[in-house]
Amino acid sequence: MRPFFILLRKELKAAFFSPLAYIVMAFLMVLNGVPFVLSLLRMQSGPSPHSLVYLTFTLGGWFWMSFLLLFPIITMRLFAEEQKLGTLESLLTAPVRTSHVVLAKYTSALIFYCALWVPSLLNFAVFQWISGESAAFNEGSFIGTYLMLFLLGAFNVAIGCMASSMTSNQIVAAVTAFSLILLHFFVGFFHLFTTHLPAEVLDRVTYTSSYEHMRMFADGLVDTRPIVYYLSAAAFILIITHQILEYRKWRV
Amino acid sequence: MIEVRNLTKRFAGRTVLDGVTFEVNKGEIVGFLGPNGAGKTTTLRILTTYLSATSGSATVAGCDVFNDSLKLRKKIGYLPENVPLYADMRVKEYLRFRAQLRGLRGRNARQAVGAAMDETGITDVRKKVIGTLSKGYRQRVGLADAIVHSPDLLILDEPTNGLDPNQIRHARDLIHHLGQEHTILVSTHILHEVEMTCDRVIIIDRGRIMAADTPRNLVQRLRTAGTVSLDIKSAPPEALAKLQTTRAVKRVTQEDSIHEWTRFTLRVESGADIREDLFHLALQENWTLRELTQHSASLEDVFADITEHSMSISESPSTA
Repeated sequence: MRPFFILLRKELKAAFFSPLAYIVMAFLMVLNGVPFVLSLLRMQSGPSPHSLVYLTFTLGGWFWMSFLLLFPIITMRLFAEEQKLGTLESLLTAPVRTSHVVLAKYTSALIFYCALWVPSLLNFAVFQWISGESAAFNEGSFIGTYLMLFLLGAFNVAIGCMASSMTSNQIVAAVTAFSLILLHFFVGFFHLFTTHLPAEVLDRVTYTSSYEHMRMFADGLVDTRPIVYYLSAAAFILIITHQILEYRKWRV
Repeated sequence: MIEVRNLTKRFAGRTVLDGVTFEVNKGEIVGFLGPNGAGKTTTLRILTTYLSATSGSATVAGCDVFNDSLKLRKKIGYLPENVPLYADMRVKEYLRFRAQLRGLRGRNARQAVGAAMDETGITDVRKKVIGTLSKGYRQRVGLADAIVHSPDLLILDEPTNGLDPNQIRHARDLIHHLGQEHTILVSTHILHEVEMTCDRVIIIDRGRIMAADTPRNLVQRLRTAGTVSLDIKSAPPEALAKLQTTRAVKRVTQEDSIHEWTRFTLRVESGADIREDLFHLALQENWTLRELTQHSASLEDVFADITEHSMSISESPSTA
């Protein structure tokens, strides 16, 4: 396991010692400040059955705009850059397992993603400090929202890893990741657009809806099904990523 | 140290390596020669476990490339073609990272990095960001990376590619120096370098091993060995024919006269020294000579002789 931690340290350094990290963090603060302010205005205009946390992460889909775009930006570099520079060759001819390389890159991207959400807690802390009222009304809403943010991150970062392992071009990696992530996101809305599909299919499809999951968790309803769904899907995608990297050896 | 048996690799229906068999003994510096696209890099990538062979077997430092790949990778130092490095890391930081990946810890890692930097002469740039280094320094950082864990075997893929003549000389000295402690397999197409540093040469062409011997033996074995050139004053028209019929001469070419001097170049069979015959011929014909020189064949001639066929195919203009 030691190579994994050495690789992880190197990847974290590469992620946090770059201007990109802080630019992304700053823009995310601005972009998510908007739904926060809008939610405050909404609460000002009348009583709401939902908490401020719930409104911020579900109101009008504001949150999703920047959220879905985040993953291609975080992950496009991971493998594509190494393939372009040729450093993948020196990395994989060192005594490290491919699985350690995949896990280290994935974990570092996930840690980076989680760090991006730390400043958002500040918004709610300030609200609580000024108003003396809990932004979440209850703990469940907080825990649920941030748990779902983590799960969605675990899943989408894995997709980004896979897209990045398929190419040596970062733009191609980003476009591939964004398309796959967007596709998965919109599949969850099929039931709104069509009634032609059989009910069973629509049920299954709705089961994968990130939008519905977020609404559920943000209300403090922590369901184990999405937890299992996102974590197992992430593991599966990482296994595919590992196979893609190993495929290079066998290409005929 | 390296044993390769019948290695074959197919890529997209093309056979890149076709039954390659060779070995490298402990302590040797072996040059791996061949024109571009001959299969050098593919062979080295299989030996370093970056690629897998389609068939055949290879053992490096006692480890099978397929079954024992992790253990094998600890025992070798590999410098890939074009020296890939992380441009945003500092020299020392990078070497430290690479040493740790090879299982060195704490003080051992620090000492190994220091020794590798000393050996390759990069101690004075240890705090610089790799991306800002010149090509010669990057090459040395790559070499330091390859030797940092004191591997049994060094595999270097075109270590002098793209360097200027001074840097090539430095790199050659360094490789020569490293050869005192390590077994080295080095691919290159700078022949001069091979002649000076390598104990043995393996020549590969179109996926097949064409020759494997010491540079000296290879040169001796060469069929069209040397050339002799001579300058004759006011050469009569029959001189060409007279030279042509001399013993062991295969072909004579006559160059344009400069003032009254005419230069002839004679291709001679291997092993033959006909300078004495030419002296007597000149005496007998009453020719005035001002030069009579035998050029011995170089490794370059061997290389051209063995691989010329494929070069002429790849370089012939298309008639379409």
